[in-house]
Amino acid sequence: MEGEKESVRMRVFRAGSCQQLFYRYQDLAPQLVPLDYTSCPDVKVPYELIGSMPELKDNPFRQRIAQVFSEDGDGHMTLDNFLDMFSVMSEMAPRDLKAYYAFKIYDFNNDDYICAWDLEQTVTKLTRGELSAEEVSLICEKVLDEADGDHDGRLSLEDFQNMILRAPDFLRFTDSVKFPPFFHL
Amino acid sequence: MSAYRNSAYEEDPDYPDYSDSRNHTQGYLKTPGPLNNSDDSSTRSNPYPAESRTSPDYLGSLAEPDYPGSWSNPDYPGTRSHPYSAGTDYPKPLSEPEYIGSQRNPYQPGSSGEPDYSQSQRNRDFPGSKGRGNYTGSRVNPDYLDSLGEPDYPGAQENLNSSGPRATSNHPGSRRNPEHASPRVKAYIDSLAEPDYPGAESQSNHPHFFGEPDYPGAEDYRNSTNFWGEPDYPGAENGHDYGSSEDPEMARQMLSRTSSVQPSFHHEGVSPLGILGREDVDYPESIEMKSVGMANPHPGAPGNGYVNPAYVGDDGLGPAYGDPPLSGHDWLSSPQGQKLIESLIPMTSRDRIKAIRNQPRTMEEKRNLRKMVDKEKSKQSRRILELNCCAQCLNSISLAYRRFKNNLSELLDSISLWQKTLKVIGGKFGTSVLSYFNFLRWLLKFNIFSFIVTFSFIIIPRLTVTQENDLQFTGLEFLTGAGYFTNTVMYYGFYTNSTIRHGNSGASYNMQLAYIFTIGGCLVVCFFSLLFSMARYFRNNFINPHIYSRGIAKLIFCWDFTVTHESAVKLRQKNLSTEVRENLSEIRQENVKLTFSQQFIRFSAHVAAWVVSSGVAITCCVAVYYLAENNLQFLANHSNPGAVLLLPFVVSCINLVVPRFYSMFRLVERYEMPRHEVYTLLIRNIFLKISIIGILCYYWLKIVALNSEECWETLIGQEIYRLLLMDFVFSLADSFLGEFLRRIIGTRLITSLGLPEFDIARNVLELIYAQTLVWIGTFFCPLLPFIQMITLFIMFYVKNISLMMNFQPPSKAWRASQMMTFFIFLLFFPSFTGVLCTLAITIWRLKPSADCGPFRGLSFFIESIYSWIDTLNKRSSYRWVVWIYQNLIGSVHFFFILTLIVLIITYLYWQITEGRKIMIRLLHEQIINEGKDKMFLIDKLIKLQGMEKRANPTSFTLERRDLEPWGPLRVRQHDAAQVCICANISSLVSNPDLRFRRSFQEDNPKA
Repeated sequence: MEGEKESVRMRVFRAGSCQQLFYRYQDLAPQLVPLDYTSCPDVKVPYELIGSMPELKDNPFRQRIAQVFSEDGDGHMTLDNFLDMFSVMSEMAPRDLKAYYAFKIYDFNNDDYICAWDLEQTVTKLTRGELSAEEVSLICEKVLDEADGDHDGRLSLEDFQNMILRAPDFLRFTDSVKFPPFFHL
Repeated sequence: MSAYRNSAYEEDPDYPDYSDSRNHTQGYLKTPGPLNNSDDSSTRSNPYPAESRTSPDYLGSLAEPDYPGSWSNPDYPGTRSHPYSAGTDYPKPLSEPEYIGSQRNPYQPGSSGEPDYSQSQRNRDFPGSKGRGNYTGSRVNPDYLDSLGEPDYPGAQENLNSSGPRATSNHPGSRRNPEHASPRVKAYIDSLAEPDYPGAESQSNHPHFFGEPDYPGAEDYRNSTNFWGEPDYPGAENGHDYGSSEDPEMARQMLSRTSSVQPSFHHEGVSPLGILGREDVDYPESIEMKSVGMANPHPGAPGNGYVNPAYVGDDGLGPAYGDPPLSGHDWLSSPQGQKLIESLIPMTSRDRIKAIRNQPRTMEEKRNLRKMVDKEKSKQSRRILELNCCAQCLNSISLAYRRFKNNLSELLDSISLWQKTLKVIGGKFGTSVLSYFNFLRWLLKFNIFSFIVTFSFIIIPRLTVTQENDLQFTGLEFLTGAGYFTNTVMYYGFYTNSTIRHGNSGASYNMQLAYIFTIGGCLVVCFFSLLFSMARYFRNNFINPHIYSRGIAKLIFCWDFTVTHESAVKLRQKNLSTEVRENLSEIRQENVKLTFSQQFIRFSAHVAAWVVSSGVAITCCVAVYYLAENNLQFLANHSNPGAVLLLPFVVSCINLVVPRFYSMFRLVERYEMPRHEVYTLLIRNIFLKISIIGILCYYWLKIVALNSEECWETLIGQEIYRLLLMDFVFSLADSFLGEFLRRIIGTRLITSLGLPEFDIARNVLELIYAQTLVWIGTFFCPLLPFIQMITLFIMFYVKNISLMMNFQPPSKAWRASQMMTFFIFLLFFPSFTGVLCTLAITIWRLKPSADCGPFRGLSFFIESIYSWIDTLNKRSSYRWVVWIYQNLIGSVHFFFILTLIVLIITYLYWQITEGRKIMIRLLHEQIINEGKDKMFLIDKLIKLQGMEKRANPTSFTLERRDLEPWGPLRVRQHDAAQVCICANISSLVSNPDLRFRRSFQEDNPKA
């Protein structure tokens, strides 16, 4: 049973195995996380350290990512949260899962709808505030126009997924544009 | 327990005094007595039988799937939810029979006079109700999450809790009465340690009571009398409650409530819980949940009304995605979790792991889920013990296999080429540039495969037969491919037509057949690989033709998470804002119609550009043709071995210069969409390259093959080798010199130009061009895949270095996967099909050279197959091969019939596609209509509430007994409205019944 559990994890990560991820986690805060993790399972690595990882350092959504994956939404991560984050971000993760978490990342106020306010936040983050307020609101309006399937003025998860269906380039967490395996050479 | 508690609790308003006289040591049998023989026995007994009779809230709706009961009898949400949730998904309470018994007991005597009271039903509900309660609790009451970890009786707890604030909610603004809430919450916290009967424990002021779960309901009454000045039907309170509040948050809650029906509908099919009337279970569930949620606004949470929609919004993903992340146990013990577990149990372990892995849950929850499923599974498997051993054996085998596969794939990943480099490229330049390198790697794999096949089936057998090579090696051969290489395994001419046989008894190896079958097999594999990749891309990138979109939404949500480099991120953000601005200006300009003259100018510019580009392409083709034609004479006159390089040089020059010339057209013809520009450029370039290759093929097959005295196949092979090599050299030079110079110019001399962008289209087309040559050449030069392999390998590094040094990330958001679909299509359609045509002409129409190569002496290449079939015909054991050949491959009738069948199937599929398109359009319209309907109903509801509030502003200050006849009625209206909306939205708009319901809802308040 134990082995099978391990294999679940292995299958999720594959490229970077669980062990490696743990070392990375441990490296983030060597003074906090003991090497023998079994003894101290309640450790949390603060967001400041999580956000400074090379994968997240320059991502405009790093705070959101950390919040979404952390238990209490404060960005501080346990090892499990950390592993979760990497399993979702890995290229192995199924599209639906990625879509679900992407939706959560874009849903800034955690109301499970992407409303105009969320969109404004997204656009501001994406463009580093280079657009004027009028432009931002126009863009949000257009986005809602395009993607809002049931015209209720905000994007539900279904709308979001529907959009993904139409946009194959979506959710490039990692290189999702992969070529079909050719005899696994 | 909880059912008991709830029912008691519903009735609690009637027994405010009773709780004081309640005896703790009293038995169950006694408790119900006073309950039902209360001072208000008339009112008490009246509503219940009436309800259960007229409205199937308790009984009928269990059997009836369209929820009339819940609609017309809305006043007891608490009770209602319990009877419906008859599913006994909680084994634990069932394991306490004395408890169940006790539960039954209290009601039986009391209700003896009222046969419609349906106690049995309530008793049945009791385990399910817990699940329901838990469910609601977990969802709505974050402050009780801790207690939810306890799977036992959160339902009771929850209801009790929710009733508290609800009952005290005379003032909607302060629905959650702090002084009431605080002792309550505390009680729960205390009760956490106690796994059983948290409902009873909620009366924390009676610690001695913990050991005695007997009178939770009575306890509750007392509590209610103590705390709540206004005991009433909770449902009524609830209805009133939200009816009278007008704040905008209410509207949001309404929204969430109305849409909450969807999950219940969604799950009813899969629900493994519902033993009785499963469909019914779901419906009140959502209502109940919402009404509870209504009464319990989360303190502190700004958007507390939003907590519920979380659940609503997710339902499209199915049960798996249907829940907001709750704490592990909590979620697992919710109905969704239970359903999930139930659905996981029958799966094979592999599927199960996959399904669990795909849950949007934290690691811990997944682990718990696994544990629970395993536990359930082991419970089940105990029943089928004899199978267990076998299954275990199989399990361990599959586990070992999986481990092996994992290790293998990890190994493959680790040796997978350039994994790290590709990551860096993606991080710095994004997916679009990365796709070029992926394409390159993919082609490399193609060539490795081709090389392995040709090497093992043609080259190795040939190498076993040694032959002296008397030609001198000078070094120039690397460029020309002629000379020394002519008599090596590289070219067709070197191969023998003899049957290779080592020793007298050894198996023979027919070189002719090996050659033709190996090349043929290679091409067939390539064909199917291309076909499948193309089909996969087309399927994945299917774009709904009915929904026009400019793609702003995509632009916004298409943030490339691969990009991790700081400057790249900044650049990307800048580019994105530019693009967004461009898009906006386009939108603004859209309304401005172009005048006729402007349109004419634009149109003529396009026509002129096409004429010029086609003219250039045709000129190039003619030039190449005449050059090639004269090339033979030219070569005859020149003894310099380097002279053969003239033709490849010219062709490569054309390939270098003309595409750049084409890309300058963008200054003249201004396309509205950047994508159109790219596609136009691609079409022109591919037209040029393919027609040049076509001209060359014509030259080879018509002139070289017919006129040449010597081994013409080898000559063609050499020519292709030179073309390929020259192309490679030009690419190298372009990368090292052209792109480098461009960077110097862009950064030092004309700084306004800046760094260039990596031209993905042109580079991919170069790859396609080279690959086409390789496919044609494989027949004449079996070692060509190997050469291409090396060039691609070098090319990867060269391009990588050049990219890192000379380029900046692309400014336009590239639709990389769409472009890749297009590239693979190009690789398939003009390129690969062209190759097939060329080779088919060669094999069926051309005469092989008389004194070299494996096919010497034959009049056609294909004759080797004919003679092979003849030989087989003589042996009776191979008759089936002959039969297949004659009746399937060589038969015109067969192909005629096959073509007919394929055409019919294609037509049918086309029609199906058309039908689906119409269907999609209709469904989309329906979604929009339902959205409108939803908004309309919500408006109505809000209006209704406003009216209600004005009509009964003082209803809650009335005496309890005065309220009694009012309450149910009023609440019924409220819940009717609520249920009606739910039903309305979830079912089709055209349902006539709904019209009636709506009118009912509208008429009611007026009445």
